[in-house]
Amino acid sequence: MLKKTTIDKLPDLAAHLMEQGTLLAPVQEAAGFNFQVIADAKQVDLNFHNTVLSPKAAFFPQMEDFVRYQTGKSILEAVPVELNLKPTFLFGVRPCDVKSFTIMDIHFSGTGLVDPYWQKRRQAATIFGYAFDLDQPAQAEEFYKTLGIGAADPDGSDVFMIRKGGDLLLKGVTLKGEKLLTQLSLLTAASADEEKYFEDYIIRGRDFKTRFTFLADKNIAKKLEDIFHDSDFWMKVSGACLSCGVCTFVCPNCYCFDICDETLFSQGIRRRVWDACMFTDFTLEASGHNPRTQVFQKLRQKIKHKYSYHVRKYGVISCVGCGRCTKHCPVNIDIFSIVEEAMKA
Amino acid sequence: MSSNNPYIPMPVEISNITNEVDTNDIKTFRLTFLNKEDEKKFKYLPGQFAELSIYGKGEAPIGIASSPTEKGYVEFTVQRAGTIVPGLVTAALHNMETGGKIGLRGPLGHPWPIEFLEKKNIVIVGGGFAFTTLRSLINYMLHPDNRSRFGRITVIYGARTPGLLLYKDELAAWGKREDIKTIITVDKGDETWTGREGFVPAVCKEVAPSPYNKVAVICGPPIMIKFTLPVFFDLGFYKENILTSLEMRMKCGIGKCGRCNVGYKYVCSDGPVFSLAELEELPRDF
Amino acid sequence: MASSFKQIEDKLKTEAKKLLKTGQVSVVLAYGKGYDDNHPMPYIAKLPSDADNIVFNEYCTHNLARYLVRYPKGTKIAVAVKAADSRAVIQLIQEEKVKREDLILLGLPAYGMKNSKTGEIIDSQTTCGLYNPVLYDTLLGEEVHGQPVVSPYDVLAQYEAMDKDARFEFWKKEFDKCIRCYACRKACPMCYCDPCFIDQNNPRWGEKSPQSHGNLMYHLTRFHHLAGRCIDCGECSRACPVDIPLYLFHKKVAKECEEMFGQASGMRIDDKPVLVNFRVDDSDKILE
Repeated sequence: MLKKTTIDKLPDLAAHLMEQGTLLAPVQEAAGFNFQVIADAKQVDLNFHNTVLSPKAAFFPQMEDFVRYQTGKSILEAVPVELNLKPTFLFGVRPCDVKSFTIMDIHFSGTGLVDPYWQKRRQAATIFGYAFDLDQPAQAEEFYKTLGIGAADPDGSDVFMIRKGGDLLLKGVTLKGEKLLTQLSLLTAASADEEKYFEDYIIRGRDFKTRFTFLADKNIAKKLEDIFHDSDFWMKVSGACLSCGVCTFVCPNCYCFDICDETLFSQGIRRRVWDACMFTDFTLEASGHNPRTQVFQKLRQKIKHKYSYHVRKYGVISCVGCGRCTKHCPVNIDIFSIVEEAMKA
Repeated sequence: MSSNNPYIPMPVEISNITNEVDTNDIKTFRLTFLNKEDEKKFKYLPGQFAELSIYGKGEAPIGIASSPTEKGYVEFTVQRAGTIVPGLVTAALHNMETGGKIGLRGPLGHPWPIEFLEKKNIVIVGGGFAFTTLRSLINYMLHPDNRSRFGRITVIYGARTPGLLLYKDELAAWGKREDIKTIITVDKGDETWTGREGFVPAVCKEVAPSPYNKVAVICGPPIMIKFTLPVFFDLGFYKENILTSLEMRMKCGIGKCGRCNVGYKYVCSDGPVFSLAELEELPRDF
Repeated sequence: MASSFKQIEDKLKTEAKKLLKTGQVSVVLAYGKGYDDNHPMPYIAKLPSDADNIVFNEYCTHNLARYLVRYPKGTKIAVAVKAADSRAVIQLIQEEKVKREDLILLGLPAYGMKNSKTGEIIDSQTTCGLYNPVLYDTLLGEEVHGQPVVSPYDVLAQYEAMDKDARFEFWKKEFDKCIRCYACRKACPMCYCDPCFIDQNNPRWGEKSPQSHGNLMYHLTRFHHLAGRCIDCGECSRACPVDIPLYLFHKKVAKECEEMFGQASGMRIDDKPVLVNFRVDDSDKILE
């Protein structure tokens, strides 16, 4: 059943959720919006387009501690770090970012060994998806439509939210989401008109225009494989690339990590830390051999990983078209333009 | 989080250390499990690897050198890395003594395809320090319980100098057996060396095993692999019957951390064992 | 009368085409079209026909000197340089990373450059405040004159008003935002160390995880390694996805260096890098 509240009452809604667990929601920071653990219900701000960093950190934080130990002491005294998670509410996630979670699920918990950290964090979370504002044009960098993602797709969310003027309409998508909504007493029932608005909005969202006119398909994977050895092409498109890590760190689908032993005085922690295929030491072997030293090899790896390798391995493109990589690239490289160009090569 | 968490190593104790080479930078570490349950869980086959883990230093993926037919311990032959990239783990390990305790994560990766090898004649080709998982395979096949499952076994093993040959006692013992043919070569002999001299690919060509019902299992430094694979292809071996093991920088060992890919395959979880047919499907990115 | 961006762009195209056609250079480092007009990209022209793709507008802020060290020594390169970029080239020549004779500098006199993320004018704010390249072989437009001369250090006023403790708190807070993507060092024309100290693992100078002490170690060391070398192009700050105002520290150090040694970085080919050079009459203030 569709529920509603007003935007004015957002702090009350936030406070209710905070009573039940941890609330992660968009907060205005110096460089833009980001998801933060909310300490003050009034911080929650839905007047954002999208966050600088993707919400992946909710399930795959930049640092995840595995084990604590003391240097010089026996391994038997090392203590694995327990994840004692309270229920987590991830509030205000855009549809393309919600989609990224389901893609990451395949990698972390859907195939091979299960990553216990990802799985536990995922299980503890309730996702409040939030439709883009269809009355505002998409940002220049976004291209989720190309990847078949609508601006108001509720798939993957537990609760889906659409804004209607000063109101916020909320609908339970999963059983978990529906149950939660019935518990939130400050929500009122929406009218039949609002039901219709909600359903129409989702459908309108499917036709919401973003950049690029074609629809990404699996031919991309094949084409990128075919031109792997075309170094001229890759050098041309990577000419400007600085091989910094911005694109991978802001990406909702980049999952590469390093496992580091970090010690401060005698206190040691083994943890995983985000890593990037753009970094020189990413593939540097102990023998000194490094299969990817040149910038074009690294950018090729990144693009092929997303649009080719991932498709071969997991059957799905590892990109949701959120446009963060393009938006934050210091030299304005546009990853999907490269894919588009590759299709013509 | 500790039980069934693939990132948390099991505690093991170093029960024996063997210095393998005259340059003292390759040692074989025998590890025994401190928890009996871990030992039961650690079921492996030749060709698999594990992460040796030292808190404060890190982890290093190393091929398992012992055979699963050897009970009560696992062995790893470890080279002290670090001329170019400081190998913190291997250096720390080399400084440890018997009784030292470290961590172990594994077994990881796919083994040599044992069932595929059954009833076939096996040519094993090894170079230098990369002989470790081949030693595991040889000892596995030579075990009385297993020997009858496999056809003829030929081993071609080379090192730069006689002093750099690993497992010298075992090589000598194999040399005396009837059920395995052992050909040892060194790039350059010394005054006491009476054996064969020459590079591994050249020796393979010279010995020229017929391809009939044969599988070649090849492991060595990249340069050796590069020149040896075509030798066997030219001899008429099917690409599916030429097997090798790849190396890439690894961290997690379970296909999650994303760095050891060659094309769409992760070397750690989809390999490290690949056939030449599979390798040709992949981009040359290793 | 200063030239318009369009006029400069046309000259840049013509000059690049000529240089590539005659084979005087094998590479022209310039700007090309990005995904929209506000987001041009560094562009590497290798064929005469590539020159048609060159653009130049107020958003072409990137410092192309950054790419010079990528090419094997001896490669003949033409590089389009704005004021700060030309200083970077000079500094690289001083540091013997590139040779003057291998380079053709295509000078771009420009004012009113804008940050494509924010639309703000960057001239003397995050950059060095000069409008005309310090060194060039061909100037692709009229020299800019008559613009107000603003010291690049004026923006430091607020920062300098803070005392030592306040400054430390300021940076601690800023560095806590750092996600260690290393865009700052990768965008920096003077950051060419391989490997960078922060990537070394023995000894390990700083942790890889984005925590206070490691972030502080990374940024403070980088700041100091750029003392007397930073040419104040401001690319580090523009590259930063979390908007850390790195330029403040660099400007402050540059100002101190200039006051102490009477030499700004990257202004004359014949200078020696100020912290490498010892002169008897050097100020002792650095020891205080």
